[in-house]
Amino acid sequence: MNCQEFWNTMPEFDDSGGLVNHEHLAHCAGCQARLRSRQELKAGLRAMAGEMRRMQAPKRVEGRLRAAFREHAGMAPSGLGAWPRHARWVPVLTWASAAVVFVLALFLVRGRQPAVATPRVAQGVVMAAAWMPAGMGTDGGTTVMESGFIPLPNAPQIGENDEVNLVRVEVPRFAMIALGFDVKPEEAAQPVQADVMLGNDGLARAVRFLD
Amino acid sequence: MTPTQPETDDELLIRIQSGDEEAFVALYYRRQAALYRFALHMSGSAQVAEDVTQEVFLALLHEGCGFDPERGTLSGYLFGIARKLVLRSLERGRADVALETDTEDSPVAPLAVNDDPLAALTHREGIEALRRAVQALPRRYREVVVLCDLEEIDYADAAVALACPIGTVRSRLHRARGLLLDKLNQERNPRQAVGGLKPVRCGI
Repeated sequence: MNCQEFWNTMPEFDDSGGLVNHEHLAHCAGCQARLRSRQELKAGLRAMAGEMRRMQAPKRVEGRLRAAFREHAGMAPSGLGAWPRHARWVPVLTWASAAVVFVLALFLVRGRQPAVATPRVAQGVVMAAAWMPAGMGTDGGTTVMESGFIPLPNAPQIGENDEVNLVRVEVPRFAMIALGFDVKPEEAAQPVQADVMLGNDGLARAVRFLD
Repeated sequence: MTPTQPETDDELLIRIQSGDEEAFVALYYRRQAALYRFALHMSGSAQVAEDVTQEVFLALLHEGCGFDPERGTLSGYLFGIARKLVLRSLERGRADVALETDTEDSPVAPLAVNDDPLAALTHREGIEALRRAVQALPRRYREVVVLCDLEEIDYADAAVALACPIGTVRSRLHRARGLLLDKLNQERNPRQAVGGLKPVRCGI
């Protein structure tokens, strides 16, 4: 067997192990050296593969593919698609509620800033923060009446030391009718200023009309 | 309680086509690293490798992505997509850059002197030399070395990826390894390794 014929029997590395004791190798130093080189090359390629085994696509590729998959599958990227069809309004309402709370909180926080004169503007809102005056709301609303505030129907009572916030608003005069005031029909659409007392939970407790 | 068998690629693909995101992610985790490395070896560019990996999986999302289980495995099919994307990228000339560790000043860095030029292939410098040699292979040989020797996929999958018969894979691999040896010998012994090792007729 010549060298060419020998190598034709072993075109791939995977079989080289079985050729170490081949008769041809025992008499051919050239093929011995060549086989040894091939085995070392094989070991080198394995080492190179092992060294690169840790390499992988950056994490951002997964994120982009997930987004593409959701878009392809017709899912909302925000995860809205995970909701049952009949309940898809739930997150919408949740976000709307969160927005309302955020706006209200923003007003309240701004209202706590001391000694800031708020310019009066038409249809504007004037904010104030205050501590509940001692005794206010403790006797079924009598004190409230003395300070000009009228407890709102079905609103929880305000404790003696509860922190309250005052919000000045302009409302149509016909809103006074719900609290027992007489309002002339021709004045019903006119605005009237009122202070609204808000509890810690942001709900209105009482109102005082300034007119 | 017996451990559950991991799902096959084909099973994951069926779930993917029915809109199962977790199946998509599972297949991605199973296959992305090898595809990324293949594209990196072929292009020499991390950016191209990243783009190719992403495009391969985007191709899976398209309806009737073209995969036919009768013709081979999904792995081979994915490598085939990756190969086409790499070639397209190479044709556009975007990837005419070496791997990041190469420097323009010394594209072939001198190696440590060693009596046996191949004995140190498993050492750091040897691996670097081998990596450069693989990178310098003609494309048709480089891809078969990367698939079969580095990623260790079987010849059938390589044949699917390369769109050629298995016999062609074998012959290219044989030739590629010879070229690698020539390249390594030439790099270390530039005077002696002219022509490299060639089959000679023995008197036996």
